[in-house]
Amino acid sequence: MQRSQYATALTVVVLVMLATLAIAETKKEYRFDVGAKSKVSIINQFGGVSVKPSPGNFVLVSATTYSDKVEVDQSQSGNRVDVQSHLLAGANAENSRVDYEVLVPADASVSLESATGPLRAERLHGDVEAEGANAAVDVRDMSGSHVHVKTMAGPITLTNIRDGHVEIDSVSGDVTLNSVTGPLVRVSSTSGRIQYNGDFGHAGEYRFNSHSGNIDATIPEDASVDVKAQSVRGLVQNDVPLQPKVHTSFLVKEGSSFAGTINKAASSVWLRTFSGKIHLKKR
Amino acid sequence: MTCAEFQRELPEYMEEGGNAELQAHLKSCSDCSGLVTSLETIVREARELQASEEPSPRVWNSIEIILRQEKLIREPAPSGRRSILPSLRQRWGAMAWLVPTAAALLVGAGIALYQQRPNGGRMAKTTTPAAATTVANGDASDEQLLQEVSVRAPLMRAAYESNLRDVNNYIRDAQDSVNANPNDEEAQQALMDAYGQKSMIYEMALDRSLP
Repeated sequence: MQRSQYATALTVVVLVMLATLAIAETKKEYRFDVGAKSKVSIINQFGGVSVKPSPGNFVLVSATTYSDKVEVDQSQSGNRVDVQSHLLAGANAENSRVDYEVLVPADASVSLESATGPLRAERLHGDVEAEGANAAVDVRDMSGSHVHVKTMAGPITLTNIRDGHVEIDSVSGDVTLNSVTGPLVRVSSTSGRIQYNGDFGHAGEYRFNSHSGNIDATIPEDASVDVKAQSVRGLVQNDVPLQPKVHTSFLVKEGSSFAGTINKAASSVWLRTFSGKIHLKKR
Repeated sequence: MTCAEFQRELPEYMEEGGNAELQAHLKSCSDCSGLVTSLETIVREARELQASEEPSPRVWNSIEIILRQEKLIREPAPSGRRSILPSLRQRWGAMAWLVPTAAALLVGAGIALYQQRPNGGRMAKTTTPAAATTVANGDASDEQLLQEVSVRAPLMRAAYESNLRDVNNYIRDAQDSVNANPNDEEAQQALMDAYGQKSMIYEMALDRSLP
């Protein structure tokens, strides 16, 4: 009997909690008709933003809030759409989270901000800017885009970015690039790990700099690169047969630097760290 | 009238003073009145800058205070000295942090540029270590930034502190590298990258990502 009463009480408590959550969670949708090459900005303090292509010339923003301490401000000015989480009195990191799911025309340029993230963008060919101190950033399946990402500690993953102009700055977040190619791919980090897996494309400039983070690059045999690598105090390892270079801008020293070319050396690759390790691997 | 409507009319307000409706909104809305105050300050400062090619004496004064705090100027500090922050905050509002940061970045950039001058290397060699050491070990601006983060987002203080420490080490190593090889472009680039990372941390702490 006592057990039965306990179970009933527990059920009531759970139902009340679920009902409270359901009341607190509010989902709203905002639709904006736009033309070609629109500009969409989503500024969120806490919570995620996910952007995917829409089937037409419209922007559809679906915003989920979890309390009345935050509201969503939105405006449209011609081809520009701005959406921003607006914290109200009593807001804090816990109660002011907003999760956005956004559909934009594939050619739209998007600018995303959130301190906590995650920030995601996929299958677009407009420019993407993503910024957040601790936000995990995931950008994939883009072509012909400028992709600029800034985080302090958030990890960054870019996958299948073709013909991109890629600039990444992260202080301690790990940076992972899978099949990322383009005329410029630059990664600047302080202590995060930089991993590149791909062929470095054709005729691009790739610069990966770090202070204490390790840099790993894995390339196929048919990659066409002119590669330089140097670690001031760390170990440098190379598993790829390179044609040594006669002239280099630094003193090549076994174990701490190397320079050489593979195939026609179409792309320029420069890997540099102060105290991290560098490892060039063959796929 | 909503804030968005007011902001659409803001250029008219700044130029002509605005109509009664704009004035009424301004009286009732602290956000918009704060925005207008900031814009008016910027306009006023811009006029002063325009009037003279030399920066205002107040700019030099601010830099001097920072250099004293950094102990780069060995002059006895006045007793009961207050933080520069309140006065800067009054003038710059939330952007007060930009002033010491800009000063630190200017010092770094100035050193880097000076070293690239044909006759600059020697002088730079004698002046950079002190500055580099101070910045690499963290400075008053860092501590003030962390205090601000503690107030606005206490849970993020540890992350900011750890990242600032790493970046200061980066700056120190990059500066050492430039000192050792003043003509090494890669070393100079690394120093610029390191300062860029520090600048990014300040931007993120300043911007609207924090509540």
